[in-house]
Amino acid sequence: MAEGEPILRIENVTKQFGKLSAVNDVSLDIVDGEFFTIVGPSGSGKTTLLRMLAGLDKPSVGDVILRGKRVNDVPANKRPTCMVFQSLALFNHRTVGQNIEFSLKMRGVSRAARRERCMELMNVVRLQEDYYAKGVTKCSGGERQRVALARALASDPDIMFFDEPLSAIDYQLRKLLEVELKDLHRETGKTFVYITHSLEEAMVMSDRIGIMQAGCLIQIGSPDEIYTQPLNKFVSEFMGEVNTLPVKAGANGKFDCADLGTQLAGPASANGSDSGYLVIRPESMRFLDDPAEADNHVKGSLFNEYAMGSRVQYHVRAGTQMLVVEKLREQAYKGQINDDVMIGWDVKDSVLVSD
Amino acid sequence: MERRSKRWVNSLIVVWTGAVLLFFFVPIAGVIISSFGKSRYFRFPVRAWSTKWYDQTINANLTENLHVTSFYVAACVAVIALVLGFFGALAFARYDWKGRIFYQRLIMLPIFFPQAVLGLALLLWFTYVGVLPSWEAAVFAHLVWIVPIVTLVISIQVYGFDVSQEEAAFDLGANRFQVFREVTMPALAPGLFSGGLFAFLLSWGNFPLSTYTSGADSTVTEWLYTKMSSGYTPMIPTIGAISVYGSVIILFLGYIFLVARRRRIEKRA
Amino acid sequence: MTTTLDAPPPLPQPNMLQSFGQWLRQPGFLTASPVLIFFLIGFVGPLVIVLGFSFVPERTFGFHGDWTVDNYVHIVSESYYISFLWSFGLAAATVACCLLISYPVSYGLARVFGRWAAPVMLILVIPLFVSENVRLFGWYLVLLKGGGILAGSAKALFGVETGTLLYSPGTILMGMVYVYLPYTLFPTMLGLSLVPRDQMDAASDLGANRWQIFREVELPIAMPGILIGSLLTFVLAVGAISEAKLLGGANIVVVAHAILHEFTYAQNWPLGSAISMFAIAITGVLVIIVMRRLDLDRLLGRK
Repeated sequence: MAEGEPILRIENVTKQFGKLSAVNDVSLDIVDGEFFTIVGPSGSGKTTLLRMLAGLDKPSVGDVILRGKRVNDVPANKRPTCMVFQSLALFNHRTVGQNIEFSLKMRGVSRAARRERCMELMNVVRLQEDYYAKGVTKCSGGERQRVALARALASDPDIMFFDEPLSAIDYQLRKLLEVELKDLHRETGKTFVYITHSLEEAMVMSDRIGIMQAGCLIQIGSPDEIYTQPLNKFVSEFMGEVNTLPVKAGANGKFDCADLGTQLAGPASANGSDSGYLVIRPESMRFLDDPAEADNHVKGSLFNEYAMGSRVQYHVRAGTQMLVVEKLREQAYKGQINDDVMIGWDVKDSVLVSD
Repeated sequence: MERRSKRWVNSLIVVWTGAVLLFFFVPIAGVIISSFGKSRYFRFPVRAWSTKWYDQTINANLTENLHVTSFYVAACVAVIALVLGFFGALAFARYDWKGRIFYQRLIMLPIFFPQAVLGLALLLWFTYVGVLPSWEAAVFAHLVWIVPIVTLVISIQVYGFDVSQEEAAFDLGANRFQVFREVTMPALAPGLFSGGLFAFLLSWGNFPLSTYTSGADSTVTEWLYTKMSSGYTPMIPTIGAISVYGSVIILFLGYIFLVARRRRIEKRA
Repeated sequence: MTTTLDAPPPLPQPNMLQSFGQWLRQPGFLTASPVLIFFLIGFVGPLVIVLGFSFVPERTFGFHGDWTVDNYVHIVSESYYISFLWSFGLAAATVACCLLISYPVSYGLARVFGRWAAPVMLILVIPLFVSENVRLFGWYLVLLKGGGILAGSAKALFGVETGTLLYSPGTILMGMVYVYLPYTLFPTMLGLSLVPRDQMDAASDLGANRWQIFREVELPIAMPGILIGSLLTFVLAVGAISEAKLLGGANIVVVAHAILHEFTYAQNWPLGSAISMFAIAITGVLVIIVMRRLDLDRLLGRK
């Protein structure tokens, strides 16, 4: 999917506000038709980057290239791209229909043609036809979401930008809309560029993911690559609860882990550095009866357990660390809080990352 | 127990508010009652009612002149204050710029200023720069006090305006003028309307600024003050009452217009 | 949103003139400029003129290069301080009365009246837009000796002959409270509406009684509104002129009246200007002290 002609290319883009730089020397190719998601915590510069792509801000340094043409100085209203805003930015004094038809009206499309296109779009985003004359302030959160989508789609843009539009929506509806958005991407075949602070959300929808930290794009890859080969501690911890153990290279090819007070077997260091973090996902951890059952084992005591529907999570105190173990409900550990337990994992399930 | 004491306090508040309303309206009612009295001098209780003072007042040229002057002043003040206040409010609440906090405090100062002193200072200033006192000068004087108020009223609306709506419109292909006409103006319309209403009514009722600056062009309030300090004539209550009717009618029309607009928008269900 | 730039690319840093140019081109400054220019012509200019006039010799009507502080000496040495005492005393009393009267009403509007709040407010707004002269004239009619509404009613209902309440300091105070009450009422209400109900509930849940809630939660949060209202009332009351004249007769000469007298009857502009500057200085200090404490964005924007 990542192969093919880049529709949007950014080259060494920096955005400075006074002496501070919100986006720092970012380069990126976005391929025609892909669903690309930029993930980062708040303050990482992802919104600033997106605003430059949409033409709402100009880069201080570097170029934005759309289909081979430099568009730095083309303002947003002249670009064939459209954005869905975080606040949705619906026109509250207008009806659903007037909102969706806005871009067509600006282009001087006739009333009848606008209406026809609007009905078509409402069908695409699954809004009932009788919402046409309804005020947008009367719509529910999910409906407003759909209006914003239809409005952005109306002018048939080449690229759609999304600035965390789902962040203010409750969990269940968000899950539903994530799926619908991915389906919409499939149906329209347009290029989607999406930003979010939730890597989980990004994983569900994206073809490729870029991780931003402090104004820099630090890792780009498929969801699978990001999941299995996180670049550093920041990326691995961004994915949710993981076990991160600080280690140093020790004797006979093993690693010393001061926090657990033991030696651990780990994968070969990729860049040859002698210290870093060993990352192990909670679901790769298991309870052992015998140390031989896994490559590594650690002794500790069960601190607490948390039922999470299909899975159960356990916190195990070991050394100065609190390790997280996750099991399917059917394979739950049968025991008591404060039990002395032994847990372990295999080398193939661990990754060594830098700071 | 708790609930009962709360209800007791609430009814006390209702009674208190009623008393304040009475306090507010007794003198206004007094003016209106006396304007319908038949006798030359006001006696209460009124023995005979008549509208003859209204006939006389309305037929007098003076009345028309006074009200026309007051109206011109108020209308000019409202229009100019709206334009200045609109931009002033954008600077007050919409843009984040260096110097904004200072600007916010600075433009509040004329509101917190003794009006009589302000009127006098303006008179001196006009004399100094060679502007003769007239109703146009009074418009200027009113504006000094009313522009900051209108700016505040519009600002409240601007604070509630999601700026990304403008960006969204721009992103959807609108040019700057279309963004202004299609998004900014309609969204701020209620604030502009209240701002204009405030400006008109405050100018209509203003005395301390007019008295120094309007010169020979007497407004209703000036005429009332002069007549009241020099003696009673039966036209005082009548003209006063007519001025009250004007304010109340404009205020209610404005209120009804705002409510109707909100209803119309809410009805799109 | 931002991080310090510790790596290239180094951008050319603008010099001071360029930064000033950039500052001038901010949209905020551009939109502020019409109001600021107007403010300069309509407010700063007149103030400078008054200040100038307060330093020229008595009974001159222009600037001829002679400067003197005689006018200020005059104020202190003669009996003008009595006017100041009256004005500021009456203004302080007005603020106190207005606060006491308007607090329960504001509370009612913000918390008790519910859907009746809007119409009640509309009715309360009306007097604000009726000229104070008309309203004061109304009081004159109410309090008129013999045939006033109060005296007339007393006579008709109870057969009692009453004197008049006109021409006393108490009546002037009532007139001022009456005229300036809306200026206290609405800011106070704005302040009270900023108090989140759940914070009061939380305080109550944590064991605070009604008085403690008032003192610890309600009052501090509503304070900016109350301050604005009090300040506005005080300043307007210091400049009050009609109340004393219409309800107080010639007994009490307030500052505004003394100023007017110097400018008209006495034809002594410099002395009038000096008295004005005195009043401006005192109110100005108060305004600046209060303004520094206010966060207008929070108060108006409810953020």
